[in-house]
Amino acid sequence: MPVVEIDPDELRELAGHDKPDEELKADLFGLGLEFEGETEDGTFQLEFAPDRLDRLSVEGVARSLRYQYGDVRGVYVPSTNDAEWRVEVEDVPEERPYVTAAVVRGVDMTEGKLESLIQLQEKLHATMGRKRAKGAIGVHDLAMVKGGAFDGDDRGKTITYTGIDPDGDSFVPLDADTEMTPADVLEDHPVGEKFADLVADYETYPAIYDDIGLFSFPPVINGKRTEVDEGSRDLLVEMTGTDQWTIDRMLAIVCYALDARGGRIEEVDIAYPDRETVRPDLETRTKSVAHDCIESTLGIDLEVEETIDLFERSGLGVEHDDGSYEVEIPPYRTDVLHPMDLVDDVGRAYGFNDLEPRYPDVSTVGGRHDRSKLERAARETLVGLGFEDLLNFHMISERENYERMGIDPESDTFGSGTPVRIEGPYSEDYTMLRTWALPSLAMVLENNTHRAYPQDIAEVGFAAARDDAESGGVTERRTVAGALARPDSSYEDVKARLQTIARNFGAELETPATTHPSFIDGRAASVVIDEETVGVVGELHPRVLVEHDLEVPVAAFEFDLAALR
Amino acid sequence: MQLPDAAVALLESASATDAKSIEQLATATDEKPETLTGAAFDLEADSLVALEERVEVSLELTDEGKRYREDGLPEVRLYRAAADAGAADDSVPMGQVIGVSELEGPEVDIALTNFARKGLGFIDSGELSVNADADPDSDAERAALDAIADGDADGLDDDTVDRLVERGLVEQREQTHRFVTLTDDGVTALMEGVETAATVGQLTPELLTSGEWEDVEFAEYNVEADAEPVTGGKTHILRQTAESVKDTLVGMGFQEMQGPHADADFWINDALFMPQDHPARTHWDRFTLDTDLMTDLPDDLVGRVEDAHRNGVGPDGEGYHSPWSREFAEEVALRGHTTSLSMRYLSGEEIGDLEPPQRFFSVEKVYRNDTLDATHLLEFFQIEGWVMAEDLSVRDLMGTFEEFYAQFGITDIEFKPHYNPYTEPSFELFGTHPTTGKIVEIGNSGIFREEVLSPLGVECDVMAWGLALERLLMLMYGFEDIRDVHGTLCDLDLLRNVEVLA
Repeated sequence: MPVVEIDPDELRELAGHDKPDEELKADLFGLGLEFEGETEDGTFQLEFAPDRLDRLSVEGVARSLRYQYGDVRGVYVPSTNDAEWRVEVEDVPEERPYVTAAVVRGVDMTEGKLESLIQLQEKLHATMGRKRAKGAIGVHDLAMVKGGAFDGDDRGKTITYTGIDPDGDSFVPLDADTEMTPADVLEDHPVGEKFADLVADYETYPAIYDDIGLFSFPPVINGKRTEVDEGSRDLLVEMTGTDQWTIDRMLAIVCYALDARGGRIEEVDIAYPDRETVRPDLETRTKSVAHDCIESTLGIDLEVEETIDLFERSGLGVEHDDGSYEVEIPPYRTDVLHPMDLVDDVGRAYGFNDLEPRYPDVSTVGGRHDRSKLERAARETLVGLGFEDLLNFHMISERENYERMGIDPESDTFGSGTPVRIEGPYSEDYTMLRTWALPSLAMVLENNTHRAYPQDIAEVGFAAARDDAESGGVTERRTVAGALARPDSSYEDVKARLQTIARNFGAELETPATTHPSFIDGRAASVVIDEETVGVVGELHPRVLVEHDLEVPVAAFEFDLAALR
Repeated sequence: MQLPDAAVALLESASATDAKSIEQLATATDEKPETLTGAAFDLEADSLVALEERVEVSLELTDEGKRYREDGLPEVRLYRAAADAGAADDSVPMGQVIGVSELEGPEVDIALTNFARKGLGFIDSGELSVNADADPDSDAERAALDAIADGDADGLDDDTVDRLVERGLVEQREQTHRFVTLTDDGVTALMEGVETAATVGQLTPELLTSGEWEDVEFAEYNVEADAEPVTGGKTHILRQTAESVKDTLVGMGFQEMQGPHADADFWINDALFMPQDHPARTHWDRFTLDTDLMTDLPDDLVGRVEDAHRNGVGPDGEGYHSPWSREFAEEVALRGHTTSLSMRYLSGEEIGDLEPPQRFFSVEKVYRNDTLDATHLLEFFQIEGWVMAEDLSVRDLMGTFEEFYAQFGITDIEFKPHYNPYTEPSFELFGTHPTTGKIVEIGNSGIFREEVLSPLGVECDVMAWGLALERLLMLMYGFEDIRDVHGTLCDLDLLRNVEVLA
């Protein structure tokens, strides 16, 4: 889960309560922010579930605490001043058509505020912004932006979001000293290299211009000219993305954080070719929640007054009417998709752990799945025959599954078959699903040559292979495999056990001679159960034994569990 | 009376008047002395014989003594060599005599010392002369050696014997001799008649069928000694844990689910209201497979799920602002949780439509493309369970899980409000470790969202929870590295020696 870093002193100041660390941690836990540790300079590292993205910075966490303490109630929406600035949208890359923006004045940037803003920006990128693909934030020092004029407006405060050729213009990006084209940035700038994939397939690259020229290359990097630092007073916050709703919510969260720092939000006109909008969008939404639904979800009776209080202490506005609540939701709440999300808020405010658990008075009959019963019976039979029951991974490498056992994937011997391959495997040891279990048993023997013999091992497990006849192309089966590794193990020994298994399940076993590359010729047979060939039994070939560094003979079998049904 | 072979033989050879030694009896009965000693103790315990112990000192020649008896005492050999060299008349250089005597090494010193002591002659300034009056042939020590060798040491002079012991030519041995005399009871028993009862090492089918077992004595074993180790088969400890969980849940009224490991993303994620651009759905976190799309998904259901993603559910519902494509939903991957099975069962696709109330569970493998280390595996078992009923509350959820975890000794469950895309409310479950007393995370739970249930056609409440089985095992057993247990790196000795789950 993501971690957010919070300076406890700043938090105390913004929340308005001078609580000692331990109390503060307990209050944070109540919000679902779990204390993970702290940095050398005492900054709290808090783990959080990625629903309340408004708590990705100290300002949002402080606001939640103030609600929890009851210092503030209901919905708060920052007031906004009318727009002076304007974003003209023209010829933007079709993959990234949306933009939103706000001006925030009087922030008076300090080191603490800047650090918090940068963290909020990064965490929003990582979560809602889907690593900048869905939404990317650019914050600029407004004093360094020179707006231009446009038809019918003499304020001269228009900037333009547009698309340019990869080598169509140049600017000095952050952390650089030379002019670079967007293509250069992707090639030579460390930040550019990191985010190059985002725009690699774009025909034109996103670009933001002011009257001086190109000053931002979203979603990759801003220009150095408009860089925000300590002392910056007024900010331009712009966001571009693939979804208008997403970037508007991200902007709302940033505006609330800057508002908490004393910034004054000022609207920005966004002029798309076909429509004009005003941003930021700080509109609240409403959803109605039935009183019954709250009571039945929490399993308790609640008074209306109490319920209203719980809503308000969750930072929600509420009007009660005839057994139902009209709940007003602030724009930073990206997680509320359904009235149940508001019931959850009431439960959290009430304190879920204050609820008395009760065992539901619901009667049902339990039972095992048929295949699970069969697996258990087969496993018990094997254990009764003295086999050590094993549990191996279903993922394996082609080398282990085929090569080291001496079989060819394309042949029709038992254990072969086209592999179900894993795309982007974790390591070369786990590149496919095993087609049979004997390779796993051979690996276990190989890893335990220092342990006492006899080693009689078995597994009732899973195997899979490609099958074009199946929708999805995978056929799965349960398999029964056993191996006797002992100085005197022979075909006779393993056949004897196989016979016992078959007899236990009332199955008719035949073992006609066969050849199998994993086994010694003349000492291998097909396992035929109830007239169907379902496996193989024999003495493992010395080639396979030596390959696995084994110095004792191994007699082994494997067959389909389903044959025992 | 029936007695073992040796005891019968001993009784018959013993006398009521004449104490006989075990050795004598051994000769008489042809039994080994140690066998008879054992029998004698047994008979003494039964008051059939009296035992008397006598300690005897016996003399025996050492190897050196035996050699001198053969070759002659060194001093006598020196005397004879000197006499031959003419030392009876005049002194002869010592070196010359020694050369003739063929004495070697330490024998030379021994010869010289005793030569003088016994007055066989004189040694002065390297010259040697013999005493013509001496009579080495009648050397008392020599005679004693012969007498001891013949077992006839009774009349020997103590000084001579002491001297020989001192010289290391004779050894004194103390020996305990046991003498057996028949008691009156013994005589009576003999007169009434005793029979042989054989001792046997192994009870055989013949002994049993013939009835002979009634007349035999069983040789005693050392029952305290360790036996050769035997490693019988054992159910894998993780499997035992799984079985225990299954038993518990079946007992609580849960039915078991099974289903595909390689499944469509639709069942793994889309049905769970996981947006298609959710970070957990990138290929870095899941194991996608190189197979075909699963194109036979139920169209109606897919349509309802897509609608829930795009528009939400209910009059006040909102959808995700995320892309959604059927092709992504049809992609096949290894399931990252067994909630895919819950979706299949709840949808009615697996075993038909379900009417409340229902309880279902599974303990099955899931796959996560995460880090592989001591506490994380790429594939592990997930315990998944859900309860379907009208009007379930958070309190029912809490009561159910408290009951379940109590079965494994985990109590004081805490419910931390949490976020899952598919449940609301959601809780992480924390419990107190049974031995360390630490608070540990033990699962994730919640009530399925309407956005999940409504497309599946479920109109009542469903609460669900999940937990890694390995986590439960590690909590219960304190295993440090899960890789020792699960997978091909497993240690057979650990599996053989681990305590079973009782």
